Amino acid sequence: MSTVKLKNLVKRYGDVTVVHGIDLEVKSKEFVVLVGPSGCGKSTTLRMLAGLEEISGGEVSISDRVINDVAPKDRDIAMVFQNYALYPHLSVAENIAFGLRIRKVPKDEIKTIVADVAKVLELTPLLDRRPADLSGGQRQRVAMGRAIVRHPKVFLFDEPLSNLDAKLRTQMRAEIKQLHKRLGVTSIYVTHDQIEAMTLADRIVVMSDGRIEQVGTPMELFNTPKNTFVATFIGSPPMNLIEATAEVTDEGCYALFDGQRCLIPTLKELTHRDEIIFGIRPEYIEIEPSEGATEINVKIDLVETLGSEALLHCKFLGKQFVIKVETHGKVNNLENLSKLYFRQNAITVFDKTTTNAMMVN
Amino acid sequence: MQDTIQDTMPGVNDSSSMQNSILTKKLKWLVMHFKKEWQIYLMLAPTVIWFIVFLYKPMYGLQIAFKDYSIFKGITESPWVGLEHFYTLFENDQFIRAIKNTVMISGASLIFGFPVPIILALMFNEILNPKFKRTAQTIVYLPHFISAVIIAGIVITAFAPSTGVINLMLNAFGYDSVYFLIKPEWFRTIFVGTGIWQEAGFGSIVFLAAVSGVNPSLYESAVVDGATRFQMMYKITLPCILPTILIMLIIRIGNILEVGFEMIIMLYQPATYQTADVISTFIYRQGLQAAQYDMAAAAGLFNAVIAFLLVITANTISKRVSNTSLW
Amino acid sequence: MSFSENMNLYSKGDKAFVYLNMFLVSMFTISTLYPFIYVTSLSFSLGDAVTAGEVMLTPVDFTLAAYELVLFDPAFWQAYMNTFIYTIGGTITSLVIIIPGAYALSRPQLAGRKYWNMLIAFTMWFNAGMIPFFLNMKDLGLLDSYIGIIIGFACNAFNIILLRNFFEAVPASFEEAARMDGANDFQVLWQVFIPLAKPAIATITLFCIVARWNGFFWAMVLLRDEDKVPLQVYLRQIITQLSDDDTFASTLITAAYSYETVSSAIMVCSIIPVLLIYPWVQKSFNKGIMLGGVKE
Repeated sequence: MSTVKLKNLVKRYGDVTVVHGIDLEVKSKEFVVLVGPSGCGKSTTLRMLAGLEEISGGEVSISDRVINDVAPKDRDIAMVFQNYALYPHLSVAENIAFGLRIRKVPKDEIKTIVADVAKVLELTPLLDRRPADLSGGQRQRVAMGRAIVRHPKVFLFDEPLSNLDAKLRTQMRAEIKQLHKRLGVTSIYVTHDQIEAMTLADRIVVMSDGRIEQVGTPMELFNTPKNTFVATFIGSPPMNLIEATAEVTDEGCYALFDGQRCLIPTLKELTHRDEIIFGIRPEYIEIEPSEGATEINVKIDLVETLGSEALLHCKFLGKQFVIKVETHGKVNNLENLSKLYFRQNAITVFDKTTTNAMMVN
Repeated sequence: MQDTIQDTMPGVNDSSSMQNSILTKKLKWLVMHFKKEWQIYLMLAPTVIWFIVFLYKPMYGLQIAFKDYSIFKGITESPWVGLEHFYTLFENDQFIRAIKNTVMISGASLIFGFPVPIILALMFNEILNPKFKRTAQTIVYLPHFISAVIIAGIVITAFAPSTGVINLMLNAFGYDSVYFLIKPEWFRTIFVGTGIWQEAGFGSIVFLAAVSGVNPSLYESAVVDGATRFQMMYKITLPCILPTILIMLIIRIGNILEVGFEMIIMLYQPATYQTADVISTFIYRQGLQAAQYDMAAAAGLFNAVIAFLLVITANTISKRVSNTSLW
Repeated sequence: MSFSENMNLYSKGDKAFVYLNMFLVSMFTISTLYPFIYVTSLSFSLGDAVTAGEVMLTPVDFTLAAYELVLFDPAFWQAYMNTFIYTIGGTITSLVIIIPGAYALSRPQLAGRKYWNMLIAFTMWFNAGMIPFFLNMKDLGLLDSYIGIIIGFACNAFNIILLRNFFEAVPASFEEAARMDGANDFQVLWQVFIPLAKPAIATITLFCIVARWNGFFWAMVLLRDEDKVPLQVYLRQIITQLSDDDTFASTLITAAYSYETVSSAIMVCSIIPVLLIYPWVQKSFNKGIMLGGVKE
């Protein structure tokens, strides 16, 4: 059982509070990703968990054991750093074995342990090489090997893929996911890349300015973001947002913008003439009419072809709207599109002042 | 009166107990910190102890500059005499002469010696053959690593009156031999020349590094414009390394009181004290040879304070310069 | 500036410039080399020939007499050995004090780090001077002793700051990863930072060795016992006697060797070890320049 519990975790530097009371419970074997823009406090939170930063307030516990005052090496955790921290003067095998040597594990035991880990990570032919002779992906795996070897209760990852090029990142993401499946160790992963979060996480923790904005599974965050921050952070391209005024009639609720009127979900809290933010994901805007969808007139400014998909850019009330469509191999007519269709249940309405999503009844 | 006020005003007493608790809090933190980090302090200890014992403790002994120091009485028992030693020093012709010589030699060193490494660096930069360049550099850096004694020995041997090669060559051209090293008028030239010979090579390294940092595309566009190599050298290379030159110059001026006195001790004689005796050698003779410790310490203090001021000024200026330069 | 190594593309003026430049550099190089050649030739020449003023470039009447005299003088070997003791002992002492000290100074967890660093750096701007230093050594009972020379000059602020800057430049994750693996401070220093700092440490070591090998002033001042003096002090004694023509001349002169040949022989013997380690020194400070923050 290796659960992690953060209770009201606070980090202060002098008078400045960087982490404002984080509460989080991570289940055993879960892969949780902390994601957010630079400076949101995700790395600081991770480092407090690791014991590399002093905890200013609150409690951290692993398997119900409070570890606030426990030294990093005794916390039963292992960490993979952003720049891997591989010792350049040691071979791959020696790097992996470093912690074992410090703990005075007998030499033959070290040998077997390293061999096993190398097999899991497909590093066996590289055991005698120096880090300088390895590719980025291989170095990544050595860093993970060093972490795995300690059989920790929790794995901590601090933006391990940031230094890799895009192609390698995709490949390593899959490897990390497979490894997690195989080893089943509770993992907490920090990244600023929401794609990594979406693909790797069992649950995502979106953070901003030292606070948790929302915790949920990737699809929960995608479909029911709690506020505009989460709505625009998760998903690429981000959710389209535009300010509008609510019109509440007997037939239903509408959003007024650009001289056009769109049917939106009936929400209890909506009052007539409320200032709202109208949100709809590029993926959910349709180019074919359907039952219950409001027809909107547009002029397409730009078509970006991605292959099987295309991004259409148009303007609403001075704001750029992006629509993602499947091309089915044909892009010729996309530029001439003049009508878009917004389906009622694809729309998310946010309160303009609080930016919180208004929930459907 | 005070006590009754304190008794009647309950808040006042709390401040002192509050100060106590802040103190105990800090002490507690300190104790915990040491328990955790004692190894770092153990590593630091030998260094700090060394500095205190060998560099800071003498500063305590520096007070003899203001005392009539007697070995038998020791530092503490020796009586204070205030600035008397300084007055004596400035009334001493030899000391004044030493200051003058220090500045003259240093100045000559600066004027004649400073440009040489720069020119050398520029010239090295124009060498195309890498092997030739490397060999030349290897040879030219060498004198820096040879001891002052040996360099002086070579100089003494070379300038010897009847057997030295310099005089032999003079004779070959029909001139009389000159006993260079006992003539005060020759000392500065020989000394500065020796210094240049010893240090110009090694000193060019800094400038070479700066030169290699110049953007190659500057030269390439100049080639297309039809510039000669010489033009490129003084229109591109030189301006680009100007910040480095300025900073080195400022540092050099800041160190103007340092004159390489080990070499002077080897090369000078009573006959040449007139131009050869500098502040450091004066201190050496007065202090270590004549055992006039207190006066020599005063001279040393004077030297150190001036040097300190010069170096601080030089560093402040150099920081300003480097902020507006390529660095 | 190697944008065009192909001299065929050069104009006539540029070719002339290149040749002139090479000529000047050659002249400078030869003039650097010449004194060493001169002295070496002297050492192999017959004393009479030198006195007669015949030696300018090559040895005249080749003889090993000067070397015989020098190499059979026990005082020479004693001085040579002393120099080794001071050099090796001094360098090791320096490294043992400087390396952990620089490491400690580079660690953010050191309380009062700014002040400790100021303590060290201040000595670069101001020192008490020759006399107080001497009296201090006297006070510590370190006059006329091997220990005095070895320990008294073990540290300087420059080397400490150089190494400290190098340690500071190592990414924090190296130390953090080692800590999480359970290493204590000494293990982190020994197993991680020292290997990482090999070039810097090599540079410092070599410069230490050269400085110790060449050091003479304080050895001269602090040592009374003839048996403890290093090579440079021994050499100096011989050379200064050169200036006192009359006294020394009468004690040493024969046809085979003169004081010039003898002192030249000693000089050659003292330079040889420096020449031997010189290639390493050169390699190391070429790397060290990058560490010193000067752009490559």
